[in-house]
Amino acid sequence: MKSTNRWTPYLFIGPALAIYTFNVLIPLLGTLYASFTKWSGYGSPVWAGISNYSRAFRDTIFLNSFKHVFIYILATIVLEVIIGLILAGIISSRKKTDGYRIALFVPVMLPMVIVAVLWRFIFNADFGLLNGFLEAIGRPEWQQIWLGDQRFALAAICLVSGWVYSGFYLAIFYAGIQRLPRDVVESASLDGASQFKIFWNIKVPMIRKLWEVAVLICITGGIQGFDLFFVMTNGGPYYSTEVPTTYMVRMVFRDQEIGYGSSLAVIVTATVLLIGLIYSKLKKQSELVEY
Amino acid sequence: MKIRAGIFHLLIGIYSVFYVIPLFWMFFSSFKGNGAIFDNPFGMPESWDFGVFLEAWNRGGLAKYVFNSALVTALATSLVLLTASLAAFAFSRYEFKFKKQLLLLFVLGLLLPIQAYFIAQNELFEFFQLKDQRFTLVLPYAGLGIPLATWLLKAYLDSLPKELFEAARVDGTSDFGMYRLIAAPLLKPGLATVAIFTALGSWNEFLLANIYVQDDDLKTIPAGLLAFSTKYVTDYQLLFAALTVVTVPMIVIYIVFNRQVVAGLTEGSLK
Repeated sequence: MKSTNRWTPYLFIGPALAIYTFNVLIPLLGTLYASFTKWSGYGSPVWAGISNYSRAFRDTIFLNSFKHVFIYILATIVLEVIIGLILAGIISSRKKTDGYRIALFVPVMLPMVIVAVLWRFIFNADFGLLNGFLEAIGRPEWQQIWLGDQRFALAAICLVSGWVYSGFYLAIFYAGIQRLPRDVVESASLDGASQFKIFWNIKVPMIRKLWEVAVLICITGGIQGFDLFFVMTNGGPYYSTEVPTTYMVRMVFRDQEIGYGSSLAVIVTATVLLIGLIYSKLKKQSELVEY
Repeated sequence: MKIRAGIFHLLIGIYSVFYVIPLFWMFFSSFKGNGAIFDNPFGMPESWDFGVFLEAWNRGGLAKYVFNSALVTALATSLVLLTASLAAFAFSRYEFKFKKQLLLLFVLGLLLPIQAYFIAQNELFEFFQLKDQRFTLVLPYAGLGIPLATWLLKAYLDSLPKELFEAARVDGTSDFGMYRLIAAPLLKPGLATVAIFTALGSWNEFLLANIYVQDDDLKTIPAGLLAFSTKYVTDYQLLFAALTVVTVPMIVIYIVFNRQVVAGLTEGSLK
C-alpha cells in the first residue's frame, strides 16, 4: 500500500530509528573504531592497528574465559534444556499440573542480581543452606567453601543458572507439547506405546524447532553471561570463573583500557553473530532435507 | 492408575519443594538473628517479627530503588511500545524507498549482543553528560527493546487482512488515523507481549545500570540491592529481609498474572 503522504513511512519509523541509532548503531561503530586504538578515556585515542587483537589472542586470561564460558554453556544445555525437556515430558503426561509449573517458573521472574546475592548466601561456607544441609544429613565432611574454591565455583554458578532457567524451558516445551495434534499422541497410546516411548519418539521430535532455538539461546546467551558471574565471584577465585564479559568490564572500567576492552567486545560480538549465522544456515539445510 | 498418579505427584512434588526451598530459606532467615543464622542455618525461626521488613525497607532506603525501577521501567516500556508500533505499522503496511535496508538495520539489532556497543555507549553518554541523571537508563533500555518489539509487532500486523486497511483508505482515513483507529486496537495482544518482556527486562537489567548510575539516590533495584549488600555486609538478617521485601511482591504479581507473564516471556525469547 502507498501512504497518502509520501513522507509518512519515514515519519513513523523516525522516532524508533533515532533512539536505536543513537543508543545502538553509533556506539556499535564507536566500539569497532575504539578496538583499533589505544585509549584511556582521556585525551584522544591513538591508532594502534590490530595490536589489541593480537594481544587478545595471546592473553591467557581472555582465552581461558572462553573455555569457562564453553563449560558453562554445555552445563546450561544439560541443566536447563535437557532437564526442562524431561520435566515437560513428565508433566505433560498428566493433568492438573498448574501448581508445579507455576512454582518452577518463579526464579525466571527475579532479577539475576537478587538471585546471585541469594545463592551467594546459600553457598556461604559458614551459614549457607548447602553446608547446613550437609550437616543436617550427617555429612559435615562434604562441606566446602563452594565459591572460594577453584574446583567448585564455576560448577556452583552453572547450578544457579540451571535453577533459574529449567522452569523457563519447561514452560516453552510444555506449551509446544500442548499444541501438538491430539490424535497423534492418542493413537500412539492406543497402540500400546509407553509414556516414555511417546515422549521420546513422538513429542521430542515434534517440538524439535523449540529445543533447537533453546540450545541456540543457551549458546548465544551464555557467551554474553555477566550478572551471575559478576555478583557471585567476579571472575575469582584465581580467574577460575572469569568469562569474557566480566574480564571486558574490568579492563574498561577498572584498568581504563578502553581500546583493548573494545577489541574483546568485538571478538565476543563476532562470535555471537557467527554462531547465529551458522545456526540459520544449518536450519535451512535441515529443512531442505526434510522436504 | 491411582498409584501411578500418586507416585507422579509425590516425585514432582518433592522436586518442586527442593526447587523453592532457597526462597523459603531466604524468607525464614529474615526472622532469625545473626546468631541463629550461623548456629542453625537449616532451622526454623523462633519468633516471627514482621517489623524486620519495615526496618530493611527504611534503613536500606529501598523505597527509592523501587521508585527508580518503576519510573525507568514505565518510561522505557511506553517509549518502546509507542515508537516500535509506529515503525512496525510503516514496515508492515507501506511500500517506500529504502524499506529493505531500514528493515535490515532493525534485524541487525535482534542479533547484536549488548557487548557490541555498551563500551562506546558509555563514552557517548559521558560526552553528552547523560550519566547519573534521573532518566539516564530510559534511552538505553528503549534502544535495547526497540528492534525485537518492532519485529514482533510487524509480524502481528502482517497477519491482519489487507482489506481492513484498504476499506479505511476508501473511507478517507488518514495515515495516522489508520494507525490509531485500526492497527493500534488490533495490536493489543502483541503490545501486551512486548510490554511484558520489555518491562521485565528493564526491571531486572544490571550491566548498564551498574555502569551508568553511581548516585545511590538514582539506582534501580538490582544495582541498589547490590550496593545495600556491600554496605550491610555482615547484617545478614537485614539482607535476607531486604531480599524478601523486593522478591515477594514480584512473586505475588507473577502468580496472579502467570499465564500472561509466561506467554509474554516465552514468545519474546522465541522471536
